[in-house]
Amino acid sequence: MWKKTLSDIITELRNDENVIHWHELEPIEAKTRPMPIFIDERLRAALEARRVRDLYTHQYSAFEAVQQGENIVAVTPTASGKTLCYNLPVLQKIAEDSASRALYLFPTKALAQDQKSELNEIIAEMGADIKSFTYDGDTSPAIRQKVRQAGHIVMTNPDMLHSAILPNHTKWVSLFENLKYIVIDELHTYRGVFGSHVANVIRRLKRICSFYGSSPQFICTSATIANPKELAEQLTGSPMRLIDNNGAPRGRKHFVFYNPPVVNEPLNIRRSATVEVNRLAREFLKNQIQTIIFARSRVRVEIILSHIQELVKRDIGPKTIRGYRGGYLPKERRAIEKGLRDGDILGVVSTNALELGVDIGQLQVCVMTGYPGSVASTWQQAGRAGRRHGEAVIIMVASSTPIDQYVVQNPDYFFERNPESARINAENLIILVDHLKCAAYELPFQEDESFGPMDVTDVLDYLREERVLHYNGGKYHWSHESFPATNISLRSATQENVVIVDQSETANVKIIGEMDRLSAMTLLHDEAIYLHEGVQFQVEKLDWEHKKAYVRRVDVEYYTDANLAVQLKVLEIDRTKERPLSAVHYGDVTVNILPTIFKKIKMTTFENIGSGPITLPEEEIHTSAVWLELNIEEPEKSLEHLLRGIANVLHHIVPIHTMCDKSDIHVVSQIKAAHTGLPTIFLYDHYPGGIGLAEDVYKRFDDVKEAAKDLIRKCPCQNGCPSCVGMGFDGMDVKRKSMELLDQF
Amino acid sequence: MSMAKKLQRLKKHIVREEPPASKQEPPEGIRFWDVWESAGAELFELDGEYCITRETHYALDAAHGFYTFKDAKKTIDQWSAFDSYHPLSAKGFQPSDLFFFDIETTGLSGTGSVIFLLGTARIHENQVTVKQYFLPSPGNETALYAKFLQETDYTTLVTYNGKSFDWPQVKSRHTFVRDKVPALPAFGHFDLYHASRRLFKHTMESVKLVNVEKGHLGLERVNDVPGHLAPIIYFDFLERGDPEGVLQVMKHNERDILSLITLYTHISRLVLDERALVDDQTALEVGKWFEASGNSAAAKESFEKSTASRQEEVALDAAFRLAMQLKREQSFEAAVSLFTRVRESNGDRSIEAAIELAKVYEHKWKDIPKALRETEWALEQKLEKEAITCALEHRLHRLEKKLSK
Repeated sequence: MWKKTLSDIITELRNDENVIHWHELEPIEAKTRPMPIFIDERLRAALEARRVRDLYTHQYSAFEAVQQGENIVAVTPTASGKTLCYNLPVLQKIAEDSASRALYLFPTKALAQDQKSELNEIIAEMGADIKSFTYDGDTSPAIRQKVRQAGHIVMTNPDMLHSAILPNHTKWVSLFENLKYIVIDELHTYRGVFGSHVANVIRRLKRICSFYGSSPQFICTSATIANPKELAEQLTGSPMRLIDNNGAPRGRKHFVFYNPPVVNEPLNIRRSATVEVNRLAREFLKNQIQTIIFARSRVRVEIILSHIQELVKRDIGPKTIRGYRGGYLPKERRAIEKGLRDGDILGVVSTNALELGVDIGQLQVCVMTGYPGSVASTWQQAGRAGRRHGEAVIIMVASSTPIDQYVVQNPDYFFERNPESARINAENLIILVDHLKCAAYELPFQEDESFGPMDVTDVLDYLREERVLHYNGGKYHWSHESFPATNISLRSATQENVVIVDQSETANVKIIGEMDRLSAMTLLHDEAIYLHEGVQFQVEKLDWEHKKAYVRRVDVEYYTDANLAVQLKVLEIDRTKERPLSAVHYGDVTVNILPTIFKKIKMTTFENIGSGPITLPEEEIHTSAVWLELNIEEPEKSLEHLLRGIANVLHHIVPIHTMCDKSDIHVVSQIKAAHTGLPTIFLYDHYPGGIGLAEDVYKRFDDVKEAAKDLIRKCPCQNGCPSCVGMGFDGMDVKRKSMELLDQF
Repeated sequence: MSMAKKLQRLKKHIVREEPPASKQEPPEGIRFWDVWESAGAELFELDGEYCITRETHYALDAAHGFYTFKDAKKTIDQWSAFDSYHPLSAKGFQPSDLFFFDIETTGLSGTGSVIFLLGTARIHENQVTVKQYFLPSPGNETALYAKFLQETDYTTLVTYNGKSFDWPQVKSRHTFVRDKVPALPAFGHFDLYHASRRLFKHTMESVKLVNVEKGHLGLERVNDVPGHLAPIIYFDFLERGDPEGVLQVMKHNERDILSLITLYTHISRLVLDERALVDDQTALEVGKWFEASGNSAAAKESFEKSTASRQEEVALDAAFRLAMQLKREQSFEAAVSLFTRVRESNGDRSIEAAIELAKVYEHKWKDIPKALRETEWALEQKLEKEAITCALEHRLHRLEKKLSK
């Protein structure tokens, strides 16, 4: 069979009427500097053996700045040799003085494993006695002591640092006394709640270092975000030098926006993105072109994978197409990564798990099923395609959600706009107090000691009154039986998670997952149908007191949908923007959440085929919110509908602008708000105490408003659709009215 | 919103495991010193820090459980006549070289868990001295460890689970003050928890010190504060300053340490003097202990005696172990005779014995038919492990092949 080349397919694509935007990135030549002359001979030889003779300009600048004692954050696109930005200065230092130690932090265990094998290859090549170890939950107790005492380079994750290393620092004396560098890889992943926790963990780390007399330098690397320097400084509490003179070469790249055709004109329903992705991927794969396909959920990965394997099995055989996502065993993942590098595997379908710096070599084509949710994330995924020489294609296939439609119809938004800022709020009081407890557990607090920019004396006194700390001789000492780090998880949105227990087989009862408490109220109540990896489970019992949901495998024709009654009370208004007919406020609110009933909905027809009550206690959180209030005391009936539509649009737009997950911010519309009786839309941080999202929306409200109007205006539906403000009714021009209403804020 | 107000609002999210608040000023000076003094306490001060110590003496003929301290002294002396290796051997030691040691802490392991009481006991020429070092509040650890290390010249620690708990904890706390106090000296360590597990596990569900005391040492705790309440009592002391509860914890700690002396005496006797062995299972465990610590001569001697036990299980286990030793020493005749006895008993170790017999017949005596018979017999039994069946089948094939040649 005659095979098409990549350029044949590019030509075909150019004529495809569903391609609505074509963006070409010109090739870039490598910019290099010679290796500094004083580099250790063994290290130089090891690098030369790996065909590294010169350094890319960013690697050179990173090395130079670190040598001068600066903390750095290097911003590098995928596959630009970022690991050398830290491995070079670290190995050089240890080669000069073997007492030196370095601590590497990776957001996941898998990344640490990866980097260990890469680093150990260089070390073996050097023939130097440098020991590098990973230290995580998988590290066998037998070698833990060796890691603690003799590891030159210890690779771990923030969770392990928080719960195992820092609370036992007396076992790590030789590391902390000699710590020269702290490497933070994938810095951009430390944002939101997780980032806010990690910033506090790093404050604790710095305290311990200074107790043992060391003051390590930070070397951070980050994907492209708008504020790498700011984020690195907030996260480490240290001044940073930004290194962004990327010198890595790049081949020509075609960035294609693909919008599936409309199949139902009045309702503006498009053909499914998944179907289009399957078709496009097949075209590449059957012509032996290495392709990566990204999908947004684990279930979607499995669905696309089975489709594509089916489609190409006659052409190339199914084993050369693989899935990749969290939940696969590490060994399996290593094999897939290697297969991709060696070219044995032709195609891979992945969640954003492959967005991070796992080494899979460079592929020729990247297909995204829908907009990945942020500009930064999109560039990360796009970076998977593109060799240093030769052409590459990136296709983003839009789904019919408002975000996707907004992005593909406003290419400028994507290509001209800077990537999002990553935000953290290390001063969130709940997070701060949690880590102050851990810090006091690790070392007594001096009266005048600082912990971040805020004065924490009030908090320490509060903890003393609560009898958690004991004040004596100018110091606050931990005086409680508990081990505070065990109760604090860095990753969950709320503090206690519900554990999901599968008891389908009496002999093999096992935990299959966990869920934060607030989501569990609507997804894991008694009788709920819970989907896990595409399999249906029914919740037999939700044991709220012990935070356990017992589920059993079922095969039913319906899913469940729970109703939540949400009440909002305004506690305090901090700031207000007055408008002629409205006001935008920012402040603190109490949110009371009470699940009421659930409905059983038939999957094929969406009919309601039954319902039942949910009996769970009410949840209450205090958080920050921004709310839009209309000065209309006797609203028309249609206003309720309009507010709900605008709330829907805002819930889609806000995560784009604040770089958060859709579940981190909630939007609620009320025709009569409890505190004023006025029509109001609330946006609140879905985390006790708030993490700065609502504040960000308040500050940049005009941008958010314009983006919302733009989305409504550019939506090709005639008079409202689920992709924008919802369905219109009674001949009312919903789209125009919604935009007019937005203009009043 | 002000910080104080915010804290009140968010209280529910912040306060989790902690008890409710009560306002109390930090202590100024030493409160209730009269109570301390009447309990025999002394004060040690160092650079603005202080700790409280307390010494108690016992006459040698005082009894703690089944033994007097004189018995303890005698037993330690008896080790000098013991010529081969044992992990708890005190050969060459003076009784005062042993340093009985136990601590009380504010929590489980981790750097935030503080040792507030270090308790020690030594057997001197004329008396037993218990010395305790108490931390009156966090922030006085320099004084505590300076005093403790200044008076401590131990060669061997005797503890209950001290290898994994007490001593690592001391090392951890010492790290905080290491620049200001002497280094921790090197030492030997007898951990009686491990010894008790070996010897008494077959008699009780949990080898906790109180259970061992009750079951083997003739001790019953009356009016004792349970160890797990110690942290709460200490935190209460920090608040109120009244040493009443702490003195009870000190009493508890003292009992623990004295029990270590009695326990060491008892275990040593079980090892040194077969007349002390009241049951055959314990006798076998003593032999197994020798076996595990590499003293095969003593193990052999002990197993030989156990083979005569009237408890069949004990006798067969001993016979099997003895046979393995004999096999290793190339005494095949004696080994085969014992293995045969075990195999014919149809007991727990019959299959293992049959396999061992097959090995000797095949490789040493080249008696293939006999080896085959043993192998076939083993395969006829109900085998629980897949791997054993596999190995046996493999052996069977090989033997059949050899036979057909």
